[in-house]
Amino acid sequence: MAEVSLKSHEQVSKHKRTRSHPFVYLLPHLAIFTIFFFIPLIFGIYIAFTKWDLVRTPVFVGLDNFKNILFSNSIFHDQLTSGLWHTILFVLISVPFCVLVPLSLAVMLNTKPKFAKFFQGLFYLPSLFSISAVVIVWSLIFNPNYGPLNTLFNWNQVWTGTQPWAWITIVVLTVWWTIGGNMIIYQAALNGIPQDYYEAADIDGASSWKKFVHITLPSIRGQLLFTIVTTTIAQFNIYGQPLMLTNGGPNGSTTVLMMNVQQNAFGSGQSLAGISSAMSVILGICIMIVSMVQLFLLRNKD
Amino acid sequence: MKNKKQGASQWLSFIFLILLSIIWIMPLLYGVMSSFKSNIEMQSVGFKFLPINWILTNYSDLLQNTANTPVFRWFLNSIVISGGSTILVLIVTSLSAFAFSRLRFKGRNVLFIFLLATMMFPPVMNIIPLYKIMTLLGWANTPWAMIFPAATGAFNIFLVRQFMDNIPLAYDEAARIDGASDWQIFRIIILPLIKPVLFVVALFTFTGSWNDFLWPSIVFSDINKMPITPGLKLLQGMYVADIPTLMAGAIIAIIPTFILYLVAQKYFLQSMSLSVGVKG
Repeated sequence: MAEVSLKSHEQVSKHKRTRSHPFVYLLPHLAIFTIFFFIPLIFGIYIAFTKWDLVRTPVFVGLDNFKNILFSNSIFHDQLTSGLWHTILFVLISVPFCVLVPLSLAVMLNTKPKFAKFFQGLFYLPSLFSISAVVIVWSLIFNPNYGPLNTLFNWNQVWTGTQPWAWITIVVLTVWWTIGGNMIIYQAALNGIPQDYYEAADIDGASSWKKFVHITLPSIRGQLLFTIVTTTIAQFNIYGQPLMLTNGGPNGSTTVLMMNVQQNAFGSGQSLAGISSAMSVILGICIMIVSMVQLFLLRNKD
Repeated sequence: MKNKKQGASQWLSFIFLILLSIIWIMPLLYGVMSSFKSNIEMQSVGFKFLPINWILTNYSDLLQNTANTPVFRWFLNSIVISGGSTILVLIVTSLSAFAFSRLRFKGRNVLFIFLLATMMFPPVMNIIPLYKIMTLLGWANTPWAMIFPAATGAFNIFLVRQFMDNIPLAYDEAARIDGASDWQIFRIIILPLIKPVLFVVALFTFTGSWNDFLWPSIVFSDINKMPITPGLKLLQGMYVADIPTLMAGAIIAIIPTFILYLVAQKYFLQSMSLSVGVKG
């Protein structure tokens, strides 16, 4: 029916000459998209194959940057291997928590306890704050001299300056900061599961755990898949936490790849935009491969 | 029997949620409390949750200091940047979504899918050339450097289009028979009806822009022009030895998004389910 009516009003409007070209409506976004996203993206991939200092004309060097980063014995090779390893380590530790913690919260909230709305609002709250504000607040908590963790419990731990605590503090902060969105998604998904499923399972005498594994999890599979992929992508872009909380330390053990990318291109001294671009292309490829593998693995389970 | 069991799990959840929410709010509350302590108190007394002497000088000193860390200035810059980004995003998003939802043209779906697919590329890959473009345009250290990139995303168009698609075509049709043009249909019929989703887009654009960290810390080198989120990094370096003042800075930075959340919590939470409905 919609099809028919569309045709008829198109005829009407043709007669009255009131149709403007669709391009007029698309133009503002397309222009901004092209200049500030698409051209930079293509250009960014191109300069990964050049030597560039951000000022003079980029000089095409073929695969030199990639050879230098991936295979030579240079400082950039060290930056990539350690930076990428630390990034992946962070993803491996943080993603499970960033999925399981909000999932458990959503399950608890789904029992519809008192003040559910209040709890929901509270757990979501930190995700409205910037990473710099969040790190400052937590840097007090972990402060070795005046932080409540040490003063309250009489501990004497240098939290952000020793491993494995440096990573643990980063992960704790990240979980605190980011779980709100996933929690809301799981809540909405759980809410959509028909109650009869559980009632039928009750009649069969299924335990809570069985019901969770056989009814709840399969019913929210789509949302789980979606959040696992988006959370992984988000955590791959880790930058602010180690930069401001641990300053990449102790001994560079929390220096992530984004910090090297930023330093090489915009740090003090001559800009190495070509090398830096090549690193970000490698990081980008890693992110895309990982999300595709995840999509593939999680899709094919059925 | 069943109700009893349900009641038990409800109580258990309730107790867990209370414990967890106390843990969740503590870091923030402790930060807020510390911002009202004097630095001497902070450093001399052991653990104390509430300030012994409540003082406001951390805040007033911070707002008056305009030399190294002009926090008040940063705050105003952030308002301009986030406000500007929100306005631009609303304009380009609603126009573009209208074309994708209501106007028929060749390659409409291909273009739409292409736009969505480009979102796959992580932002790291275009930051260096984007910086170059901004310096060429003379926009580094100006709000434009953040306002325009904010409006490149396709996800907002996706959300708004989705919402528009649910508005019956019969509305447009009736207006068209009365001789309304595309523009009039957009302006008089569609725009008022999509206000709820535009409100959600506005909230997320504002907070997203307010909280952006990596890009502004690259494109703003002038201390008086930068927004507050990268500014806090400088503040952290400047007030290493004065934790209460540092806390005051962080609290000032989170106040606007906190207030927005208090006022429009419903919309924030609703928008999350909006994107689920789409993806689930």
